[in-house]
Amino acid sequence: MSATTAASARTGVPGQSMLAAAGRQLRGLKILLPFAALVALWWAIYASGDFSPQVLVSPLTVWQAFVHLVTYGVMAEYASTSLRMIGFAAMLSMVIGVPIGFAIGVNRYAAHALEGFLRFLQGISGIAWLPLAIIWFGFTHTTTLVIVIYTLIVPIIFNTMIGVRAIPESYMLALRSLGASRLRMVKDVYLPGALPSIVVGLRLGMGYGWRALIAAEMLVRKGGLGDLIFGARTFGQIDRIITGMIVIGCLYVIVDRLIVQPIENLTIARWGVLRK
Amino acid sequence: MPDDHRDPASEKIVVSGFRHFFETAGGHVQATDQVDLTIRSGEFVTLVGPSGCGKTTLLKALAGFIRPSEGTILCDGKPVTGPGRERGVVFQELAILPWRTVRRNIGHGLEIAGIPRAERERTVARLIELTGLAGFEDRYPHELSGGMRQRVAVARTWAADPDVILMDEPFAAVDAMTRLTLQEELVRLCTATQKTVFFITHSVDEAVFLADRVLVMSRRPGRIKAMIDVPGRLAGRDWESFKIDAAMQALVEQVLRLVREERGLTTPAAPAIAAGPGA
Repeated sequence: MSATTAASARTGVPGQSMLAAAGRQLRGLKILLPFAALVALWWAIYASGDFSPQVLVSPLTVWQAFVHLVTYGVMAEYASTSLRMIGFAAMLSMVIGVPIGFAIGVNRYAAHALEGFLRFLQGISGIAWLPLAIIWFGFTHTTTLVIVIYTLIVPIIFNTMIGVRAIPESYMLALRSLGASRLRMVKDVYLPGALPSIVVGLRLGMGYGWRALIAAEMLVRKGGLGDLIFGARTFGQIDRIITGMIVIGCLYVIVDRLIVQPIENLTIARWGVLRK
Repeated sequence: MPDDHRDPASEKIVVSGFRHFFETAGGHVQATDQVDLTIRSGEFVTLVGPSGCGKTTLLKALAGFIRPSEGTILCDGKPVTGPGRERGVVFQELAILPWRTVRRNIGHGLEIAGIPRAERERTVARLIELTGLAGFEDRYPHELSGGMRQRVAVARTWAADPDVILMDEPFAAVDAMTRLTLQEELVRLCTATQKTVFFITHSVDEAVFLADRVLVMSRRPGRIKAMIDVPGRLAGRDWESFKIDAAMQALVEQVLRLVREERGLTTPAAPAIAAGPGA
């Protein structure tokens, strides 16, 4: 306590900021708690029975497999294949999906006509397209890419459309009475107005797309984390399967938290409470 | 309605034989009955009337957002065929863009018109001064109070320097005290800039306080049932003196009576409601 007061006296900052820092650390711990509980449960189950390494291995064995895969560059290879694929698919989906969403959103009749259809497509998961895609494109990266783009693009189109339609009519009328051209309306009203919703679409799409990617890689078997865990099954390498699963989850969290969520926060901070 | 001020040069807006219908799921709805109206250059005209009487329909037609079902609207002798920079609009609901700062919202019309940056900033600075927004230039709308946001909307319209300004209940959503201030500021702004203003309101006090001429619209399908001249606007008005000015208060009474008739509250010689036996 005396250390705290001394420190705050020296820096001129009230002891509160140290409390706040401690609070933040505590919150960080809280996020890790469920993971620790899961590992503990897993370890308890493992220790309570006599499991063959073909069925279940200990967390320690998985850790060793992870270190091994990382050291030999295997993990980097498989993970980078998956990350490149999702990144490329996300970019292409934005480039194609946002203009389509716009075109539908600005036209009330098109929006009404296509809303049901887009929901229908959302119901047919990317994985359900795999049989057809494999017949058409074979066991290739093209198949994987098509599946992931399909999965990503539907929420992007849908949310872009919703975003455009949610822009208050008064913004458009006000700009028209200021003499704005169509291009000007797109640049100054439609694009910034729909942006928060587009980002939501991208975020949802990345979530769905990542899952579809892993599934497609499992069937296509041309690299990627899905290939890694499905290949490991053939040799009964439980440690590799679990390692791969953990990496799949971690990479998703990292991509979502470090790339997509900051973009979303930025638009929300800028747009403020007005966008409800 | 005889118009004793006929002088084609000063006629800014001429509405003749205007009528409007809407197609709805329920069929044909007549929004307004025939409206004939002349607004002189530099005049401040307010329009009061019951809800749904077609006030906003008339304003939208003046703005060029809708085409009249019947009749013509001339602005400076030319037919209105769509929205245009010479006719600015201030809306009731927020129409300033939440992703632009105060400064960039106010300068938006000038930016669209391709005015060079230096000149744009001078105009924006002058309007920020006139509307009391100094110190808030770089804030976003969500950081402002309702009254300040509406000041930004007014300033944006004024900055684009249209000849005619159409205002649709611009102060309806702000609190009562702020509204009084905004109305006084509007009086000052209009005296300083000599715009032709067409202003819709629900408030009889506001209608008389702001106007050179108050128009009273009948209930739907609306027509203009009365025009009342209000003298002395350019000499300046404030609420304290307005409230104790007997002549002004008499005008308020007169307008109020006309509006209330339309709402069926003091209908002269209202037919007695026949109560059937057993009712």
